Amino acid sequence: MASWEELQEALQDYTVQCNTNERLRKMQRAWSRRLHFACDDSEITFTMVVDHGEITQVLPGHLGEPDIIVTTSSETFCDMFWGDLNPVQKYLRGEIKVQGSQEDVMRLDAISSIIWPES
Amino acid sequence: MIPYEQAGNDGSHGALAASQLAGQAGSFGSAGPKLRRALGLWSATATSSGLAFAAMDYLAVVSVATYAAGTSAWLAILVAGVLALLVAGIFSELNGLYPSAAGIRLYMSRAMGNRTALSVTFAYMTTIVAVIAADAFLIGAAIQHVLHEPTVLAYVWIVVLVGMAITANLLGVKLTGAVQNIVTYTVLASTTALSLVAIFNVPGPLRRPLALLHAGPHNAIEAVAYGVFLYAAFEWVTTTAEEVRSPATTSKALFIAPGILFVVTAVFALALTHAVPFASSHHSPYPQLLLGRAALGEIGELWMLATTVLTAINTFNGGFLTASRFLYAAARDGNLPRVFCSLNLKAVPWFPVLVLGATSALVAAAVFLTRQWLLLVAVGATLEALIYACAAWCVLALRRRDTRKRSFYLPMAPVLCVAGMVIFAVLGLASAFSNPANPSRLSVLPAAVVAVIGCIATAYVLIAIPKLQAKAAARARAAQPRRRPMRTISSEAPSDSGSGQL
Repeated sequence: MASWEELQEALQDYTVQCNTNERLRKMQRAWSRRLHFACDDSEITFTMVVDHGEITQVLPGHLGEPDIIVTTSSETFCDMFWGDLNPVQKYLRGEIKVQGSQEDVMRLDAISSIIWPES
Repeated sequence: MIPYEQAGNDGSHGALAASQLAGQAGSFGSAGPKLRRALGLWSATATSSGLAFAAMDYLAVVSVATYAAGTSAWLAILVAGVLALLVAGIFSELNGLYPSAAGIRLYMSRAMGNRTALSVTFAYMTTIVAVIAADAFLIGAAIQHVLHEPTVLAYVWIVVLVGMAITANLLGVKLTGAVQNIVTYTVLASTTALSLVAIFNVPGPLRRPLALLHAGPHNAIEAVAYGVFLYAAFEWVTTTAEEVRSPATTSKALFIAPGILFVVTAVFALALTHAVPFASSHHSPYPQLLLGRAALGEIGELWMLATTVLTAINTFNGGFLTASRFLYAAARDGNLPRVFCSLNLKAVPWFPVLVLGATSALVAAAVFLTRQWLLLVAVGATLEALIYACAAWCVLALRRRDTRKRSFYLPMAPVLCVAGMVIFAVLGLASAFSNPANPSRLSVLPAAVVAVIGCIATAYVLIAIPKLQAKAAARARAAQPRRRPMRTISSEAPSDSGSGQL
C-alpha cells in the first residue's frame, strides 16, 4: 500500500510531465475538469484541478463537484502517475474504476498515452 | 509550482491528512459523490432507444413483414419486445456486476476467457460497421430518390455522408447530450406520428392483424428473429454506466427503451403493411418514403426524408464514437496495432475513425452494387441474436464464478437464461438461413457472412494478437526501467507494465 507521501511524489512528477508537454497542452487546451481520486485500499482521497489542460491544483480530500471519479489501489495510482503501467489495461480488467463521460475517460487516458507512449 | 495545499512532506502532516480524509472516504463509500454532469433516466433512455433506432430499422420492418401475413408484423414485433425485456434483465444483471464502459469486454472475458471474449467483441463491432454502412446507403438512396437524381448519384451521397461523418469525428465535433436527446425523441415521435396519419388516412380495414401464424410456425419464427433486430443495440446503453447517476438508471432505461421501440416500430409496421402494397415496399430501399407518400403525398415523403436524415445524426455520431473508442482501447490494450491508438490534436483516435469510415463506405458500395440491403439486415439479426445467447450464458457462468453483490438480479435466472440461450440460438439460426428477398427459399448467405466474420475475428485473435503482444513485450524490455523510485515500490506493487496477457 502506498502512502500519501509516495502518491504526492508521483503526482508532482506527473504534473510536471503533463504541464511541460507541449503536444499534450495543445491537445487538452479546451479541457477543464475537476477530478476526484479515491484509493480503495486506504482512506486516501485527493482532488486534481485541470484548467485548460494545465494541472493547476492537487489537493487532499474530495473538494467540489467532480467531473470524473477514479478509484483504484494506491499502488496502482503510484505506478500510473509514474508512467509505469498502462491504465487502459487495468481499466479493461476492472482494476481501475472510472465514473465520468466517455470523452473525459478518453482524455484522461490520452494524458498517459501522450507523455508515456511506450507504456 | 503546484499548490499541494497541505503539502504533507512530513509524516505527521500526512497522518493528519489521512485522518482528515477518513470521513470523506467514508462518505464516498456509502452514498458516493455526485458527478457534475451525470446522465439521468431521460437521457439514458434516449441513448438506449437512439442506439437501437437507425434507418436500417425501416428495412428490418419490411423483413418482418415478409414473414408475417397481412398486417400482423406488429405481433412479431410484440413477441420480440417481450424477448427484449429478457435481454434487458440479462444486461441489467451484467451491468450491475460490472458497471463500466468496458463492461461488455469484462463480463465476456470473465465468463468465457479473454480470447473468446475478444473474438466475440470484434464480431460485435462488425454490426456497428454494418449499421453505419446500411444507413449511409439507405439515406443516400432516399435523398437520390426524392431529388429525382440518376441512381449512380446515390453513391455520391453515400460518400458525402460518410465523409461528413469522418470529418466531424476527426474535428472532435460531438453532439451535446441535450441535442442528442432531442434528435432521438424527434425521430421516434415523427415516425410514430406519420405512421398514425397513414393508418387513419389510408382507407380500408387492417388486413388480418392477428394472423402471425397464418403462414406457418417457421415463418413466424423468422418474423420474430427480424423483430429482435429492431431492438438490437439498445443494450449498448451499458457503455454509459460510468456516466449515469446510478446503475439503477441504466437498468430502468434498459426496460423502458424496448417499450418505446415497440410502440414506434409496431405502429410503423402496422402503417406500412396497411398503406403500402407489399410488392412495393419489399423491393424498395426506402419503404419509409413510400409510407410518407401514401399518407400525405409529397409532404409525407419529405417528412420521412427529414426523419431519415435525422436518424443518420445518431447513427454516425454514436456509431463512429463508440466503435472508434473501442478500437482505441483495444490498441492500448495491445490487441490491435499501435497506429490505432494515435490521437490527433482533438484527442480523437484518427486512424480508427478513418478505418471505420473507409470500411463503411466499402460495405455501402457493395450493397449499392449488389442491391443486397436485406442481407445486411439478416447478418445483423443473426449476430445480435447470437450475442444475446452469449450474454445469457455469461449471466449463468458469472453467477457461479463471481459471487459479488449485483445491483440487479435477473429473477429465475437459471430458467430464463437457459430459455434465452435456446430461443436466441434458434432465432439466430432462423435469420442465418433466411432469405427475406425471396422468403419461399432458404439462403446460406447470411450464415456464410457471419461465419466469415467469426473466422476472421478468431484467426486475428489466435494469430495476430500473440505477435503484437510479443512485440509489445520486446519493446517493454528495451524501454527504460521503471520510473518510480525503488524505495517507494512496495512488494505488493503491480508489475505488469508490459502488454496484456491473453
